[in-house]
Amino acid sequence: MTAIMGPSGTGKTTLLRLIGGQLKPERGEILLDGQDVSKFKRKALFDARKKMGMLFQSGALFSDLSVYENVAFPLREHTNLSEEIIRDIVYMKLQAVGLRGARDLMPAELSGGMTRRVALARTIALDPELLLYDEPFAGQDPIAMGVLVQLIRLLNDALDLTSVLVSHDINESLSICDHAVILADGVVIGEGAPADLKKSESPLVRQFLNGLPDGPVPFHYPASDYQSDLIDQ
Amino acid sequence: MIDFLVKNGRTGLEFCSTVGRSGIFLLHCVLGLSWNLKGLKLLSRQMYNVGVLSLVIIIVSGLFIGMVLGLQGYSILIDYGSEQAIGQMVALTLVRELGPVVTALLFAGRAGSALTAEIGLMKATEQLSSMEMMGVDPLKRVIAPRLWAGFLSMPLLAAIFSMVGIFGGMLVGVDWLGVYEGSFWANMQSSVEFREDILNGVIKSIVFGLVCTWIAVFQGYDSVPTSEGISVATTKTVVYSSLAVLGLDFILTAVMFSSF
Repeated sequence: MTAIMGPSGTGKTTLLRLIGGQLKPERGEILLDGQDVSKFKRKALFDARKKMGMLFQSGALFSDLSVYENVAFPLREHTNLSEEIIRDIVYMKLQAVGLRGARDLMPAELSGGMTRRVALARTIALDPELLLYDEPFAGQDPIAMGVLVQLIRLLNDALDLTSVLVSHDINESLSICDHAVILADGVVIGEGAPADLKKSESPLVRQFLNGLPDGPVPFHYPASDYQSDLIDQ
Repeated sequence: MIDFLVKNGRTGLEFCSTVGRSGIFLLHCVLGLSWNLKGLKLLSRQMYNVGVLSLVIIIVSGLFIGMVLGLQGYSILIDYGSEQAIGQMVALTLVRELGPVVTALLFAGRAGSALTAEIGLMKATEQLSSMEMMGVDPLKRVIAPRLWAGFLSMPLLAAIFSMVGIFGGMLVGVDWLGVYEGSFWANMQSSVEFREDILNGVIKSIVFGLVCTWIAVFQGYDSVPTSEGISVATTKTVVYSSLAVLGLDFILTAVMFSSF
């Protein structure tokens, strides 16, 4: 499991979209299982996406379908399984995230944390090999956060997946990932195992990991001299 | 001076690229509907949303427009003593012009804006993105059924509009104003031609259906995914559809009904 962290606007979500093939890079290559994703044609891309799962920040459940239908969606689209088998798989996935009892609710009736867990169940419905998480912990209460943190790690180990986690939440991310990468200004400024990163000497890495308000990333947005701005009208 | 050129040049280029994008989009969507059981189920669901739910406004408008046509027509024709021609007048006006055009305008306002808002919201809440990431093409699954539903619904709605309008004209002309019922229908039958009038009206409504639905669906898909973006997109749908319908109506009328 790899965590990608960094200040806002450095392009972490863009990186996820590049991996998923939603954006094309201007330079460089993205190797998925040895093949360059950016060179894939439409059909090859859609086939590759069946082995990937992406969890969006908002969950992105289909608002006109119930929880059960949402999780069954990828199964119905990509497989010819009978309804009984689909039912069993959906129940299993919902049980894994603890929401089997909520299967008949509509997305509008779910809380934020529950929405994300249903989205997670939908993402693993086809048993993908790669999971991409876009800010999964953002805006969650402590209990929901704890649930998600544990689920993500458990799923990664139980299903033998590769996970890429984009997040701002340093403590949660570093507590579950095996390898972390910190991005700033489009460059990797630190990478390695969580324990190594915490001991890093780089000022940028230290500012980010310790949440210092001022440092290499300045507090003040570039502006003219304060005194002349206030006094000279 | 240079700034002016740059700004207008950029607007022009953006316009061209938008038109190109919408053309490719239309091609992918039209070819994207799968004509199997699953695709037909999606299509029928959308025909309900787009067509059946528009029936109320179409029928009520059709009725009132037919009745107004009957009243106005009678008041003019009575001066020439040819009030018996009221049936012909109402039928020809509706079938040739008002049926397709007013239905298209109402359709753009009701179904078009609903389509734009729905697709725009799905884009803003990342539902289309997540569908893409699951390996399901949103153009095929979400947009294509809605496009085809619009194509198929519009001619039917226009036909219903004309029918209800003629009935409204009959209510006013025959039941209220006392025109002889026999001549009402007989004059209509002899003057309304199937190929020249009815078929041309149907062709118009098919063209309008294509244009209105295409604009509605593209504006939703292309919208900026914020609340302001969706409101802009919905407004654009109604305005562009209305202008396109009226412009195309003139061109089609000139081609179909003039004597050259």
